[in-house]
Amino acid sequence: MTDAQPERGDRTARHATTLAAGIAALGVRCALEPRGGLALLLPETGSVEMLQSPDTRRAVLALARQHGFTHVAVELPSDWRSAGRETDAPLLRD
Amino acid sequence: MKRDLASLSDSALARREAELAAWLEERARVAIGFSGGVDSAYLAVAARSALGPGRVLAIIGRSPSYPAAQWASAREVAREFDIPVLELDTAELEDPRYAANPSNRCYFCKTELWTKLVPMARERGFTTVVDGTNADDLSDWRPGAQAAREHGVASPLAELGFSKQDIRDASRRLGLPTWQQPSSPCLSSRLPYGIEVTPARLKQIERAEEALRDLGIAGDLRVRYHEDLARVELAPDELSLWLEPARFAQLRDALVGAGFERVALDLRGFRSGSLNVLHGVVA
Repeated sequence: MTDAQPERGDRTARHATTLAAGIAALGVRCALEPRGGLALLLPETGSVEMLQSPDTRRAVLALARQHGFTHVAVELPSDWRSAGRETDAPLLRD
Repeated sequence: MKRDLASLSDSALARREAELAAWLEERARVAIGFSGGVDSAYLAVAARSALGPGRVLAIIGRSPSYPAAQWASAREVAREFDIPVLELDTAELEDPRYAANPSNRCYFCKTELWTKLVPMARERGFTTVVDGTNADDLSDWRPGAQAAREHGVASPLAELGFSKQDIRDASRRLGLPTWQQPSSPCLSSRLPYGIEVTPARLKQIERAEEALRDLGIAGDLRVRYHEDLARVELAPDELSLWLEPARFAQLRDALVGAGFERVALDLRGFRSGSLNVLHGVVA
């Protein structure tokens, strides 16, 4: 059973990668930080506005559920006024 | 037959209110575990109306997990409707079983509350002790209900089938200020299970929610504590507004001021028992 944790971590990373790609396809470019069942979106400049649409939010939530996440939240970075995030890969901190 | 919980007719609600009055009148003297929330406020006013001031006593249990704003609301309802009130201090945070924040944390809190409240009521001749549990609560994860049963606390609103919406409708008719008040469980409910409940964390959460209220957020609101991160749940119809970047920045600044390093807005919005879902306690 010692392999269980790394396997789960790999699976989470894969899900985060494909989820971030799926969300980007909806027009919301962001990095994604998985925190257990929470998918934390770190948006690039202009992406927070995209989430003002209830339809877009519903689509993001549906995608996240398909990838095993129960919750999705978007973080507004402290530097949002001066610079956007220019990332195109999931950010894995776990 | 399935009943539409959201739209009980006026006559059906009036019948249910009459049943509640009869239930209360059958008891000599009734003490209420009183938080000032929607349910217990309605029950206290209904009891005061059915029994008169000499046969009803609302008892407030105070601790760091009980928001100061909720206490103020409780006192205001009691003053406005002439309901006698007693207060007692509870010390659930000193119980390591509670502070460890297991998924049945509420059991230890309610055990502490009822262990103190029930004898206090009985010493004063209040043989019946009730709480504001409603019929909707029966389908939710409520480990605190077991403690109520163990201490002989009755739940007439649940027993008589009052849904939350029934209670809001009846409260509105009675002129209670709480009729449209958001549900307000204790501050510990913002901490994920397994994260220790401490006075400092509860105070941080309380400050954060007060700061958001000061921004004008009036509806459902929770600041979920994820250590460095505050995850904010708002009523779904408020989300689009607060996802406008300048407003989101206001929200962020308010929570950083309350001591959080990072701030995120939940995209689904408020849901009761959100952390139960996150931790797999309920689906």
